[in-house]
Amino acid sequence: MLSDITFGQYYPASSFVHKMDARIKLLLLIAYIVLVFVVKNFYGFLVVYGVLLFLTLLAKVPITSLIKSASAVVFIIIFTFILNIFFYKTNNPTYLFWIITKEALEFSTFMALRLLALVFFSMLLNLTTTPVALTDGIESLLKPLKVIKFPVHELALVMSIALRFIPILMSEADRIIMAQKARGADFESGNLLKRAKAMLPVLIPLLISSFRRAEELGDAMDSRCYSSSSKRTKFRKLKAGWRDLVAVIFTAIIFTAVILLNNYVGGLV
Amino acid sequence: MQIISKGLKFTYNKKTEFKRQALNGVDLTINEGDFFGIIGQTGSGKSTFIEHLNGLIPVESGELTIGEFDLSVSAQKPKKAYKERLKLLRRKVGMVFQYPEYQLFAETVFEDVAFGIKNFFPEIEGEQLALKVKNALELVGLNYYEVKDKSPFELSGGQKRRVAIAGVLVLEPEVLVLDEPVAGLDPVGKRNLMELLHSLHGTVLKTIVIVSHDMDEVSENCNRVAVFSDGVAVKVDTIENIFADVDFLVKHGLELPLTAKIKEDLKAVGVDIITDYKIDNLIEKIYKNYKG
Ligand SMILES: Nc1ncnc2c1ncn2[C@@H]1O[C@H](COP(=O)(O)OP(=O)(O)OP(=O)(O)O)[C@@H](O)[C@H]1O
Ligand SMILES: [Mg+2]
Repeated sequence: MLSDITFGQYYPASSFVHKMDARIKLLLLIAYIVLVFVVKNFYGFLVVYGVLLFLTLLAKVPITSLIKSASAVVFIIIFTFILNIFFYKTNNPTYLFWIITKEALEFSTFMALRLLALVFFSMLLNLTTTPVALTDGIESLLKPLKVIKFPVHELALVMSIALRFIPILMSEADRIIMAQKARGADFESGNLLKRAKAMLPVLIPLLISSFRRAEELGDAMDSRCYSSSSKRTKFRKLKAGWRDLVAVIFTAIIFTAVILLNNYVGGLV
Repeated sequence: MQIISKGLKFTYNKKTEFKRQALNGVDLTINEGDFFGIIGQTGSGKSTFIEHLNGLIPVESGELTIGEFDLSVSAQKPKKAYKERLKLLRRKVGMVFQYPEYQLFAETVFEDVAFGIKNFFPEIEGEQLALKVKNALELVGLNYYEVKDKSPFELSGGQKRRVAIAGVLVLEPEVLVLDEPVAGLDPVGKRNLMELLHSLHGTVLKTIVIVSHDMDEVSENCNRVAVFSDGVAVKVDTIENIFADVDFLVKHGLELPLTAKIKEDLKAVGVDIITDYKIDNLIEKIYKNYKG
């Protein structure tokens, strides 16, 4: 079923990582993304994946859900891997077999590891942070942009509504699919065009109901006098605490370690 | 077609952290000719159960047979033959979901009602198709010439629901399963729809199964009832026996129908009436009792 897809789903648990401030987690995610690009050799990746494993255990999220999330991007990873293998060029390559060189193989593996680590880190954030906390965090981090009249609050609102509506629309799609199947709709056979056409009886009611929901939500917000211009307070205040300090220090240590490894062991790329 | 379910179990999101056992061994039999009611608290598994009845949810464990169709796990292979049989089954068991008007999609009412025919009987076309659509729309009390070229989205809520039901009836199923058919309708709309189902029962449709939260509707129309609780059919019995056991109903969080309330009130003042919980019969009984 559609609603089985776990991509971007919060995993409820009570852990060190869950309890961290969403803003700090977002900033640290950026730090780790940078780190993944700083890494120059396989030892660095040993550290990165070690950190990933450690954080996963610390966050008490099942490793399987992390791996499952990677399946959504596995196609892209394989695709870039293959492209890299054939198109990576060096000056004096060592041929392994056919046109495959040792350097290209190393480089492709390296890039695949890089991509995978990116996905894992972002997924870890998704699994341990509620969508609401996430948008609150983004809003808070983007606040400085208000100076140049950027609609930060509206953007955050649109994001949180969109995130909230994804599971609702998924389960609604499930229901409509069932209803049309009961009337003999067949979504599984025929060529691509036929299948796309078969989805119309699902997409149209879905589109209509999302308009209906949007209108209802708008009415509900209006009737409670919602306005984004007024100064509002938060129900849940984001607060950084000792955990966040520990996490920042930990990240700094890892960063230093990777840079040292780069310098002493040397680079692959 | 007789529907027999034995030890039917089902778990949502089975292999994830969000798994939830919705059916926990359902045993029940629905006979041909029944106007069968399924009642129970919210979340007790009613909808999950009926979605099994035409294979929308494949049986996971336990046995389920609908007439000559065996849907049990052991009968799901080979896959191709199973799929073919599912197609046959879906023609015979019509399914009307809760708020069926939200599944309308076509440009005209005619197209929407004809959708099932086009899927199941692509050879039916032209006048023959028009005749079938006309029949179905008239069955649900709509004027064919008035509505056929309208967009389904410009109809009223009650009319939309009728169109959606016509879209299922057009396949001339033997069994019609409805999930809370009158939810969200006004009292007149409710009564009209129930009267419509009543008139279809025994004529166009052999068996009707409804899921309902409205006990009056159940007591007035059904002959047999299953009470669901925590994914189990805790009681399957006739109307008379179900509504006579007040403690049992209260225990499972269910209301009494109006007729049962009247009966209980009368009992409290020393008048014991044997009733089948249909309002007209009860009034007649009380009247006789009063005269006698
Ligand atoms: N698509 C789904 N994914 C996960 N869990 C589900 C899904 N559908 C239903 N459930 C769960 O299965 C259980 C049974 O649900 P079901 O819809 O069958 O109940 P119901 O008796 O029809 O309730 P209601 O009277 O509210 O319609 C509930 O606990 C529900 O939370
Ligand atoms: Mg239900």
